[in-house]
Amino acid sequence: MGLIFSRDHKVIARQFLWLGLAFLAVGGAMAIVIRWSLAYPGRAIAGYVVTPSSYTTLFTMHGTIMIFFAVTPILIGAFGNFLIPLQLGARDMSFPTLNMVSFWTQLVASIVAVAAWLVPASANAGWTGYPPLSTPVGTPGIGQTLWTLALILAGASTTMGAVNYITTVLRERAPGMTLMRMPLTIWGLWLTSILNALFVPVLGAAMLLLLSDRLFGTHFFVAGVMVRAGGDPLLYQHLFWIFGHPEVYILILPVWGIVGDLISFFARKPAYGYRMSVISMATVTVLSSLVYGHHLFVAAMTPMLGRAFMVLTLLISAPAMILFLNWMHTLWRGSIRLEVPMLFTLGVLFVFGVGGLTGLFLADIPQDVYLHDTFFVVGHFHLIMAAAVFLGSFAAIYFWFPKMFGRSMSRTLGTIHFAITLPCLVVIFGGMLLLGNAGMQRRLYDPSAYELFRPLRPWNVALTHTAFLLAAAQLLFVWNFFASLLRGKPATDNPWSVGTLEWTHTTTPPGPHNFAEIPTVRHGPHEFNHPQLDGDGDKDWLGQAEKLPGDPE
Amino acid sequence: MTLGLLPLRPLDASADGFRNDALFNVTMLMVTVLFVIVTGILVWSVVMHRKGRHRAQYERGIGRRHLLFTIVITAVIFFGVDGTLLVDSYLDLDQVLWKFPRAEDHPLEIEVLAQQWSWNVRYAGPDGRFNTPDDVVTLDDLHVPVGRAVVVHMKSKDVVHSFYLPNFRVKQDVLPGIETRAWFAAKRAGTYELGCAQLCGVNHYKMRGLVTVESADAFDGWLRTQSAIGKARWDEDDTDAHWGWPWD
Repeated sequence: MGLIFSRDHKVIARQFLWLGLAFLAVGGAMAIVIRWSLAYPGRAIAGYVVTPSSYTTLFTMHGTIMIFFAVTPILIGAFGNFLIPLQLGARDMSFPTLNMVSFWTQLVASIVAVAAWLVPASANAGWTGYPPLSTPVGTPGIGQTLWTLALILAGASTTMGAVNYITTVLRERAPGMTLMRMPLTIWGLWLTSILNALFVPVLGAAMLLLLSDRLFGTHFFVAGVMVRAGGDPLLYQHLFWIFGHPEVYILILPVWGIVGDLISFFARKPAYGYRMSVISMATVTVLSSLVYGHHLFVAAMTPMLGRAFMVLTLLISAPAMILFLNWMHTLWRGSIRLEVPMLFTLGVLFVFGVGGLTGLFLADIPQDVYLHDTFFVVGHFHLIMAAAVFLGSFAAIYFWFPKMFGRSMSRTLGTIHFAITLPCLVVIFGGMLLLGNAGMQRRLYDPSAYELFRPLRPWNVALTHTAFLLAAAQLLFVWNFFASLLRGKPATDNPWSVGTLEWTHTTTPPGPHNFAEIPTVRHGPHEFNHPQLDGDGDKDWLGQAEKLPGDPE
Repeated sequence: MTLGLLPLRPLDASADGFRNDALFNVTMLMVTVLFVIVTGILVWSVVMHRKGRHRAQYERGIGRRHLLFTIVITAVIFFGVDGTLLVDSYLDLDQVLWKFPRAEDHPLEIEVLAQQWSWNVRYAGPDGRFNTPDDVVTLDDLHVPVGRAVVVHMKSKDVVHSFYLPNFRVKQDVLPGIETRAWFAAKRAGTYELGCAQLCGVNHYKMRGLVTVESADAFDGWLRTQSAIGKARWDEDDTDAHWGWPWD
């Protein structure tokens, strides 16, 4: 029982990891079936014919599952839980029971989400769930109601986690662990938690109103001549994107943090401009709550609001650029080790670069009018929310696997996994940009219903086949993960030779209360090749709690 | 449209669509240059500074000099790229997208009622007023004359749809409960497609209509004929058919 209803953050982290990885597999399989249908609409795959209705359910549940039940549990649930106490020198989270409840709420939410998918009248209104389509006017049936409920539950779980993370970072740091000595990973997770605490409840509010429309016959979001009701469907879009745009940053901020740390670790150089990076991440966090209107450029927005949101959206590229420059500057004149986590980190830089730059097109209104709701948007946000986020998650898994499970993953398999995954992601999502620019809308069961898109068929077929290759490459990861778990080489306490507390002051895997003795922190997380270490043999790193000659007691 | 295998934007049949395409091309040029430079530096760094070539430099990037360096580069890119984009977009907004034709320009006004999964289109007919017996009402069939500005007034009967004319670079969501508008002018006769760009249910992919662009004379002739047919079939009691709405 101790391992199931555990309040130990490390156990809860692993529970979130298993749950997230399981749903990643489900969401990924859905993506494959969606791609199949786009290339060969109506043709059976493994004896299963995708109909327009099941196609709609598939992309609805693919988006919902990936965002709320795969990425969120892996990045925030698993790595947030695992790393926040370990990297800060704490014995556990501030609220261990709340932490446990958060996981079990997420599990219940996951079951409800699966039910929303598998019931006969399944959820069918897209992951954005715009009303009136998501109300009984457009989607009667139990599935859509369960979908709404699943998001409310998942949101509750995330909010519990967020409150816990925020408090832990503020209250549980080891002596000497000032905010400006925290690993960037913790900064990313902390800023993400703040956004979660502020904006997930907004999603909850929208979902509660929607649930009321569905169950109790209210008309918050229903309007139009047919239903003769005076609700406001646009209100939902505002509420959804007030949450929805920060959500993008909720998912990418932990990755930015991880990337910032790993680049430094594997370039054996201090993270260039640490303070600048922290301020940039904080600035993005603030701005992320002020740009959501760019999702509504074609929805019916007053010109004044449109202009304001356009300027604010463009503004966000400045701090993002500073972050990127700092990453590049960290690499410069480093001594770069191309270990598997570093390969994935460099992959993040590449796809995040493409994803970020394509955002420039969508930030401005005239271009967005043409590109809105086309595959250009799909390619753009997948480059960030799928490619960058999953490459970052893989980097994190390869990097912290030894600490989590006490064994090392295979470097050869990891390198091959990377070498196939990165080009596939670029081809698939880059190809989507081209299809979108050619005018192809999202969410079309059969694009050839339009004559305009018939010449694009070879592209849809090619992208689908690339997606199959991408899926096959993930089997290498699955194999590597389980084989290493069972038979991997036992890992030492600090296999990557870095100075953060989880590596320097805990055993592998960490004991029940993490630290034999809470260390006193004296340095930042990225002290490599410190001048005072010269002539110290092979050791080029300085532990965060290590005492240098001349350091005060 | 494709060039060989490369997907390209659909043929531009509108008077002002070239501006949208030009804006896209300028942006594409800027981000391509940025991308090539950044990727070049990244690859160069990884190759030149890989393990074993030299000891890593201890450089924390703290201090005024480093801050200035980063801020200057960021500012150059930000004001160069984002600035260009903002100015060009504002011009486009003021001169095209939000510059709706005025009444004295005599635009062709059309009402569109979207529903799952088709487009109801209504023309005022010779009397110039909507919801009268001489209206022309079509299904998934939009006719417009070459060279004359067209203003489309839209409402939805049920869920959110999006009025999408890829060949005219036009897209506007259609919502139940409020009226939205879009405008364009056609410059090239022919038949084009009208699509729905917002998920509107299971048969969203079938919500497609045709746009016929024809000469002003041909259009007027079509409108007269259709109006006469419509008038003969006018049924005062069929209130569902009188979905048109007055506006100024």
